[in-house]
Amino acid sequence: MKFRPFRLSLLGVSLLIPAALCAVILFLLIYSGQAFIYNGLGFVWRLTWDLGNLYADPVTVHGISVPLGASYGILVFVVGTLLSSFIAILIAVPLSVGAAIFLAEAAPSKIRPVLSMLVELVAVVPSVVFGLWGVAVLVPFIGRYLAPSGNGYGLLAASIVLALMITPIIATTLLDSLMQVPKENRESAFALGATHFEVVSKAMMPMVRSTLIGGIVLALGRALGETMAVLMVSGGAINILPSSIFSPVSTIASFIVSQLDSAESDPTNMAVRSLAEIALVLFLITLAVNAGAKFLSSGALRVSNRK
Amino acid sequence: MREAPAGLTGISTQGLLIRNALVKLTHKLRRSGVAALALAAAIGITGTAHAATSLVETGSSLLYPLFNLWVPDFTAANPGIQLSTTSTGSGAGIAQSIKGLVQIGASDAYLSDGIMKKNPGMLSIPLAISAQAINYNLPGLNGKSLKLSGPILAGIYSGKITKWNDKAIAAANPGVALPDHVIIPVHRVDGSGDTFIFTQYLAFSTPSWAKTVDYGTAVSWPAVSGGIGANGNSGMVTAVAANPYSVAYIGVSYAAQVEKAGLGVAALKDKAGVYVMPTAANIAAAADSVVTTTPPDERISMIFAPGELAYPIVNYEYAIINSAQSDATTASAVQTFLNWALTSGNDMKYLSKVHFLPLPAAIVTLSKTQIAKIH
Repeated sequence: MKFRPFRLSLLGVSLLIPAALCAVILFLLIYSGQAFIYNGLGFVWRLTWDLGNLYADPVTVHGISVPLGASYGILVFVVGTLLSSFIAILIAVPLSVGAAIFLAEAAPSKIRPVLSMLVELVAVVPSVVFGLWGVAVLVPFIGRYLAPSGNGYGLLAASIVLALMITPIIATTLLDSLMQVPKENRESAFALGATHFEVVSKAMMPMVRSTLIGGIVLALGRALGETMAVLMVSGGAINILPSSIFSPVSTIASFIVSQLDSAESDPTNMAVRSLAEIALVLFLITLAVNAGAKFLSSGALRVSNRK
Repeated sequence: MREAPAGLTGISTQGLLIRNALVKLTHKLRRSGVAALALAAAIGITGTAHAATSLVETGSSLLYPLFNLWVPDFTAANPGIQLSTTSTGSGAGIAQSIKGLVQIGASDAYLSDGIMKKNPGMLSIPLAISAQAINYNLPGLNGKSLKLSGPILAGIYSGKITKWNDKAIAAANPGVALPDHVIIPVHRVDGSGDTFIFTQYLAFSTPSWAKTVDYGTAVSWPAVSGGIGANGNSGMVTAVAANPYSVAYIGVSYAAQVEKAGLGVAALKDKAGVYVMPTAANIAAAADSVVTTTPPDERISMIFAPGELAYPIVNYEYAIINSAQSDATTASAVQTFLNWALTSGNDMKYLSKVHFLPLPAAIVTLSKTQIAKIH
C-alpha cells in the first residue's frame, strides 16, 4: 500500500475528537464507579440530595466509606433540566422561525445584512451577560407582574433566559438555508398563483425542515448544558419538584457547579463521585436528545453520501 | 513605538541602563517588526531580576475583601514575597490547600475531624473574627429590628412556619403589626461557609434541626414551597431586595450593600435568651466567651456561645495551611505572612472596612504556636 503522509495525518487529527470523547466517558465511568454501587438504580428516581454529615466520622456501607446520612438522588435536577430546556425550545422556535422568515422574505435587502448580523451577534453574547440581565430585569418583572407568590426566580425565568440564548442559533441556521432555497422553486410557486404565505409555508419550509431540526438540536444542546445563566435565575431548588411554572428549579449543570465546592471537602470523596455520576446522566440525556432528533430529521446518513 | 519605553519608568538605575539599551534596540529594529517582541522579553528579564517567593491564596469569598486590603501593604513591607489572592469558596480553599495547589487556603469553617484524620498535618489558623446577620425584606418593617430566634428560623427554613404573622414570630415581637404573608426563605446554592455557620446556629439552638438537617457548607435543605436559592453573598442581597417578604443569612462584610438595599437586620436570641444585634460589642462578647475554651488546634465553633450579650452567629476566619510546605523558603514566607496578618494585619484600619474584629491576645498566642509548626 502506498504511504500517504497527508492522509495519515488527517486520520490522526480526525481520530483525536472521538478519542477525547471516549476518554471523558471512560474517566466519568471509572471515577463514578463506587458511586454507582452505593447509589444503585434509584439514583435517578430519588428526590433527596444530602451530602451527609461531613463533620462526623464516615460510615461504611457495602464496604464503601460514605459520610453519615449521605443520600444522593437527582430526580429534581433531571426534571429541572428537561423542563427548562423544553420550555425554552417552545418559546424559541416560533420566535426564531418568525425572525428567519422575516429576514429572508420580508426584510428590505438593504437592511437585511445589518439585521442578520445583529441576530448573529446575540448568539455570541456570553451566557453570564444573559444571566445578569435575567437577575436585574426579568426576575423582578416576573415577580412583580406574573408570579402569584411575588418570587421571580424559577422555571419561567430560566426558560426565558435560555430561550433568548438559543433563538439566534436556530434563526441563523434557518436563515442560511432559507436563502439557499433555489430561486426557481420560489418563483414557480408564485407563478402558480400561491400567496406569499403559501410560498413560504408550502414551497420553502418543507425544504429546510431538516435544517430547522438540526438547529433545534444544536440549541437544545446548549440549553441542556447551560450553567451560569441558569444558576443565577433558576432559584436553585433542592429536594422539591416544581409545582408550577414559577417554582424554583435546578438544572444538572448548574447544580454540579454549585455543589462541587462543598463536595470537595467530603473526606470520603463520595460526593464528587456522585457529581461525576450526574455528569454522566447529563451526557446520556444530551446523547438521547441528539440521537432522537437525528432520527426525526432522518438526515443522519445524508452527510456521507454526497452526490 | 514611541510610548513603549514609558512603561518602564520608575525602575532603578540598573533598569535605566537596560532602558537606554532598549531604546537603541527599538530604533534599530523598528522596521523589522520584532521590536515589540524584544521589548517584551527585556521586560521579562527585568521583572525577574530579584527572585520573589510566590504565595497563592484561594478560598472564602467572605475573607477575600480583607485579603485584598492586606496584599498591597504586606507586599510593600515584604518585597521578597509575592502574594496573589482569588475568591473561590471555602470548600475550594480547603481542598486546594490539602492538595498543595495553594499555600494558603481561606475558609469560614474549620477542618472537620474526618479531614484531620486523613491529613493530620493540616492546620486551621484563625486570622480574624467575622459574624453573620439575618436580613429580611418586610415592607414597612425594615427599619425596625425584628426579633428572631434559632427555633423560629429553623421553623421557617423547614417549612413549619410559613407566614410572617405566625404565632411564634408574633410572640417574640409583641406590638409589631406583622403581615399575613407567606415567608420566602432564601438559602445559598453554592458551597458556603455562611451556610455552615447559619445551619450550625440552627442545629445548636434547635434539637429537631440537629436531628434532621444538621450543619455543613451545603446542606440538604428541607422542601419549602417557594423557598429560593441564591449564588454567593451578593446574590443573596439581590434576591432579598427583589423579593418582598423574604429572609436570608448574609455575612457582615456585606453590611454596606444590605444597608444600601434598605433591608432589615434582625436581633437574634442568644444562649442567655436575650435578643442581640450584630454590633461590634456583641460580636466581641461572643469571641471573648470562647477564648478560654479554644483548644491548641483552634478548631472550635463560636456559634451560640454563652454570655449575656454574645451575638449567636460569630466565627473565626481561618487560614487552612499544610504544615509541611514544599521547601524551607516557601514555609518561611508563609510564616512571615501569617505573623504579619496576626499583628499588623489585625489593625482596625483593615478590619473595620469589612466589619471584622481582631483576634483576642490569647488566640493570637495560640495561632503563633501553630504557625511555628510550619516547615
